[in-house]
Amino acid sequence: MSQIMIELANVTKIFGQGEKRVVALDNVSLKIKKGEIFGIIGLSGAGKSTLIRCINKLEVPQAGTITIAGQEITRLKGKELRKTRRKIGMIFQHFNLLSSRTVYGNIAFPLEIAGVKRSEIKERVLSLIDLVGLSDKISAYPAELSGGQKQRVGIARALASNPEVLLCDEATSALDPETTKSILGLLQDVNQRFNLTIVLITHQMNVIKEICDTVAVIEDGRIVEQGPVVEVFARPRTPAARRFMKSVLPTEIPAEIQERALRMDDRKQGGKTVRISFVGDVAGEPVISSLIQKFQVDVNILYANLDYIKNTPFGSLIIDLMGENQKIEAAMEFLKDRGLELEVLNGGVEPTA
Amino acid sequence: MVWNLLLRALWETLYMVGASLVLSALVGVPLGIVLVITEPRHIKPAPLIHKVLSTIINIGRSLPFIILLVAIIPFTRWLVGTSIGTTGAIVPLTVSAIPFVARVVETALLEIDRGVIEAAQAMGASTSQIITKVMIPEAVPGLILGLTMVAVNLIGYSAMAGAVGGGGLGDLSIRYGYQRFRGDIMFFTVVILVAIVQGLQSCGSWLAARLNRR
Ligand SMILES: Nc1ncnc2c1ncn2[C@@H]1O[C@H](COP(=O)(O)OP(=O)(O)OP(=O)(O)O)[C@@H](O)[C@H]1O
Ligand SMILES: [Mg+2]
Repeated sequence: MSQIMIELANVTKIFGQGEKRVVALDNVSLKIKKGEIFGIIGLSGAGKSTLIRCINKLEVPQAGTITIAGQEITRLKGKELRKTRRKIGMIFQHFNLLSSRTVYGNIAFPLEIAGVKRSEIKERVLSLIDLVGLSDKISAYPAELSGGQKQRVGIARALASNPEVLLCDEATSALDPETTKSILGLLQDVNQRFNLTIVLITHQMNVIKEICDTVAVIEDGRIVEQGPVVEVFARPRTPAARRFMKSVLPTEIPAEIQERALRMDDRKQGGKTVRISFVGDVAGEPVISSLIQKFQVDVNILYANLDYIKNTPFGSLIIDLMGENQKIEAAMEFLKDRGLELEVLNGGVEPTA
Repeated sequence: MVWNLLLRALWETLYMVGASLVLSALVGVPLGIVLVITEPRHIKPAPLIHKVLSTIINIGRSLPFIILLVAIIPFTRWLVGTSIGTTGAIVPLTVSAIPFVARVVETALLEIDRGVIEAAQAMGASTSQIITKVMIPEAVPGLILGLTMVAVNLIGYSAMAGAVGGGGLGDLSIRYGYQRFRGDIMFFTVVILVAIVQGLQSCGSWLAARLNRR
């Protein structure tokens, strides 16, 4: 598991010159382990596609090196590059199937260009069609398929030459939520079945939450944070990552609650509105009842949200803490000691005692 | 007598058009392919080759056929030994159709989704594999429609080729219908020409639709 499959070291990619100059990737370094599902998330224009396209040299970076299974792809050219690309499957947002070929013909394509024997091609294609569950569509043309079915063909085609790496460029962005789920399930299945390393870029939080082990957040061509999905999503460390999480998480504080917290300031009656974020085991602990019993503060729950990332619960709770200021402070210390992240949404009244 | 004349002229027209279509495709299709793949950000970017080729093709297309016909007489004579007759007419017809074919092929190939070509590149396809296994098969309907258009144009030009003694239906209708006041021959040649053009276009459109999987 800890073997490195893909390594990017100080990769920089610049498009255009002068006025039109865009630094799409700015000194990006990443390590992707063998067999993991590595997600890269970022807003539109952050440089996700550029990053993934550098991995199979569809884009050539101006600086830095990219190494795949010990081979430096950034140095390869011509025949050698083509040979290495056969070990890197890729699927696309708009599927990019050959419209003139049937499902069978599309999946056979990478094998044909690799010069595989006809009989072997047939055997391999049939087993792949079976794997992706399209046995009844074998002679259909792409125009006759649904989006989900097209992506299944794309996945089968990408797997045809037994790649070690699968690159997914917004593979589910053109699909509805239901179909997205089934495609993600298929990706997870092939990841486990073939110990395939998957690099997946997306702007959809759900995709990362659903199947990724590790995530990197990219902003303006820079990786602002990376780590295990749960860590990064629930406790972003850098301001940039936090900003990004705020922009994509629909579970941010509802506007009414924020307003209410501020109004509480006006009433000058003391108390604080606090957001508690938690990850993992603490979610099961009876912190709120201990709070009331031990510190004699009143707790008013305004908002609660619980979500799971790969079986790890995480979420947030917004509460009003009311009572003497000292007790409120002590209660907040207690919560912090339990490993919870606290954020005061209003100032409350300055302690007078 | 009239039928013999018509039949012979029909054959000459088909021969001139067919031969020059095939010959111009042999040169024009590769030129069209080069034109496309040398574009910036295509599979073999080469701005200089692209620019030079594009300019030559534009010059070729802007020359009126009747001028080209006369201007290349020495070349025709050098190439096929004669500048007159049906065979002599094939050379200018071919030369004039080459740039046309190149543009028609370019248009058809540029219509292909770039993503599909990119997918083939990502799979490790070579330039020649991308051309033969992706670009051409994907562009078949567009290529058929384009070449149909070239053929229809060649029929029109072949009438002018009568001017160098190339024969054919156009020539017949001028020599008999116009110069000798044979209204019946004029009528029949026109009917046959219209029928050929109609038939050709219908076949082309039908085939293109038939092969279109998009
Ligand atoms: N071929 C190109 N020429 C010029 N600029 C480009 C090119 N490709 C990408 N860029 C620029 O590089 C930046 C990163 O683009 P990229 O496509 O990698 O973003 P992205 O994160 O994939 O966005 P999206 O989510 O919209 O697909 C953008 O500012 C884009 O305009
Ligand atoms: Mg993109």
